[in-house]
Amino acid sequence: MVPIRTAVLAASTLALALAMTSCSSGTESSSGGQNSNGTLTLGSVVLPSSYAADAAVWGNQSVYEQAVYDTLVRETPDLKIEPSLATSWSYNADKTVLTMKLRTDVKFSDGTAFNADAAAQNLTRFKNGTSSLRNYLSQMTKAEAVDAATLRITLSEPNPALLQYLSQAAGLQQSPKSFDAPDEATNPVGSGPYILDTSKTVVGSKYVYKKNPDYWAPQDQHYNDLVINVYQTTPTQVNAVRGGQVNGLALIDNSAVDQLKSAGYDIENWELNVVGLLLLDRDGKLTPAMKDVRVRQAINYAIDRDAMLKGAGQGMGTTTTQFFKPSDTASYDKSLDSKYPYDPDKAKQLLQEAGYGNGFSVTMPQLATGSTAQYDLVKQYLGDVGINVKFVNEPANNFLADVSGAKFSAVSALPLQADPTAWQVANFKLLPDATWNPFHTADPEVESLAKTIQTGSSTEAAAASKELNRYIVDQAWFAPWYRPLQSFVVDSNTKVTPQQDNAYPYLWNIEPKS
Amino acid sequence: MYRFIVRRLASGVVLIAILTTLTFFLLYLSGGDIARRIVGEGATEEAVQAKAHELGLDRSVWSQFTDWLSHAVSGDLGSSWFNGQPVSDAISSRLSVTLSLVIGATLLTAVLATVLGVVAATRGGWVDRVVQFLGVLGHAIPNFLIAIGLVSLLAVQWHWFDATGYTEFADSPSRWLSSITLPVLALVTGAVSSVAQQVRGAVIDALRQDYVRTLRSRGLSETRVIYRHVLRNAAGPALSYLGVQFVGLIGGAVIIEQIFAIPGLGQVAVGATSQGDIPLVMGLVMVTAVIVVVLNLLVDLAQGWLNPKVRHA
Repeated sequence: MVPIRTAVLAASTLALALAMTSCSSGTESSSGGQNSNGTLTLGSVVLPSSYAADAAVWGNQSVYEQAVYDTLVRETPDLKIEPSLATSWSYNADKTVLTMKLRTDVKFSDGTAFNADAAAQNLTRFKNGTSSLRNYLSQMTKAEAVDAATLRITLSEPNPALLQYLSQAAGLQQSPKSFDAPDEATNPVGSGPYILDTSKTVVGSKYVYKKNPDYWAPQDQHYNDLVINVYQTTPTQVNAVRGGQVNGLALIDNSAVDQLKSAGYDIENWELNVVGLLLLDRDGKLTPAMKDVRVRQAINYAIDRDAMLKGAGQGMGTTTTQFFKPSDTASYDKSLDSKYPYDPDKAKQLLQEAGYGNGFSVTMPQLATGSTAQYDLVKQYLGDVGINVKFVNEPANNFLADVSGAKFSAVSALPLQADPTAWQVANFKLLPDATWNPFHTADPEVESLAKTIQTGSSTEAAAASKELNRYIVDQAWFAPWYRPLQSFVVDSNTKVTPQQDNAYPYLWNIEPKS
Repeated sequence: MYRFIVRRLASGVVLIAILTTLTFFLLYLSGGDIARRIVGEGATEEAVQAKAHELGLDRSVWSQFTDWLSHAVSGDLGSSWFNGQPVSDAISSRLSVTLSLVIGATLLTAVLATVLGVVAATRGGWVDRVVQFLGVLGHAIPNFLIAIGLVSLLAVQWHWFDATGYTEFADSPSRWLSSITLPVLALVTGAVSSVAQQVRGAVIDALRQDYVRTLRSRGLSETRVIYRHVLRNAAGPALSYLGVQFVGLIGGAVIIEQIFAIPGLGQVAVGATSQGDIPLVMGLVMVTAVIVVVLNLLVDLAQGWLNPKVRHA
């Protein structure tokens, strides 16, 4: 007889073995991301580009950095500055010298004591380091230890956001003994709540930390262990959450929000970015038409923001025409959320008045990844008023370099963070040397208002902030569409408080549900 | 036998040399400003130039290649340009993960394909037709679709297996098996269907040989005839094909590791290639090439063991 029974028996045995192992691990699998054993498992869309504090970039990477490093000060979720390694601080009269009193009971994980000299070395190193945020300290001329517990920072001119910067990447404190160590990028030595377990970490995929037994603020160590897994696609994120393998993660986009909500997961939302068109060539160097404010205003009128939010933003967000958000109470003006209603006729009229009644062409970069909805809609809306948009495929690796290198007059759908204060908006998007002003457009009005924000009293600065917002919207430096909602999903054992000015909640604000 | 092994190893070294040379120059052709990417968009031109000089990017491509080659020959694969991790560490921490998947998938493929192939060849009729149909089906459905289906049903809905991630065998054997089962199943589907067809064809050919009739006439049981004699003769072609499939499975693992967020070589290969992390990519290519060469040698040795005529070929 043909040995079919033998074959079936072999296959059945194999299947049974698999089924048995799956059953035996099933219970563990379903509790894989739970925190009953004191482990917090988080998901991140990015991996740490480097653990060296002078290369820190914050944002989505902040969770890695906060796990192992402390900052000089901390920021609450609603953006108030509070003590951390610095217990108190004060400015001199013209706000060019900041003196900070530091804790004296803090040690780095290599046993080195934290003191003012270590803090001064870290600040100087960050300013001269490779971080893309090193201009946070561009006004700092000197950082010095007055004594072991007193740090003095001298500035060439006031920096209204300095304390906030010291609560982020610029304030991270690494053990000076580990500066320039060969494994500095993958083996951090800080004083933070956790210590990276390099033996269990797989660089680029999985980062495993254990509790720092000597941490000076044990009330902020909510878990015994911390694991951060890298998930770089939405389906993998969804599988990790629904498979019970993470306690929380920041979603890449909102396409899976409904699915996760209906499956019973909690989702915290907050507004962080602004999505729209960056009308960068305001001097008309590449596209002469864009020098005319009427053309830029026409572009604003040509876009149906409601349809854009629905079609490209899953309907999750708030339509707007300004680059400031409500949490910046000094600058935000609600009326500027609807300064340019959808009005193609008005757009055509403005183009006619500017001498572009027959339209013009503009080239924008298009990334190969992600939805094409936003590009299709931009092409359609601007095409409707006579502006021919040509999208060219741009490799992801070259995208930022080419945009910041002034190779494109305008950029579509690049989400830019709406910085928390007008000073930061001016520094990153408006002033001639700002990162997102690649054509170095110089506008005396913008520079004058930015100066008042920098050096004026708080009342003068608030008035100038609002005026700067209104001026930028009137001049149509951008064509914002909407502020999309950021989404952070947590399981039923975990609660989270989002950080209003960051893409990832701060680590100590992710806690077990009591 | 000794000369046979030496000859194979020598051709393997030539293969590795050709592969690494081609990869190095192709990576430079794909280009981009790597130094700028490493130091960040906001870096000054001086910082970019300094980084380029530090990495030797300001030298000729040939000079960079010979430099890499001289270090690689002495076992020094360098460090990642982006995070400074030694390439050997980056690869060794992930190699066991990928090998778990690929070896697991190969073994499972061998078992399932043998069972299906033998059954189809010996039973014929509807059993054969069903196996052939499953073979076509398995080949037609891409393994990433199977992966998505498996993870949705068996991990997300029923929580039988881990949906993502990887647990080391040393940490928990049961969790290890739970973490690799679905990726392995996703990988084997296409391979099983192909290898089963090979086994089926080889068994049918062997069954037509005179020696089978002789064995049967001597009263040997059908099971003994099939498993002791026919399979041994039919195993040669199937084994060669399984070797080819092993290499294919390494490629397939790149996609599967992405879907299951498994920290294997595939995941780091995608990242390193898109970044332009040349030392890491070169290390990965070299290790993969070595695996392929060693595997081919093992397949050849196994062929020789199965069929002494091969040793003298």
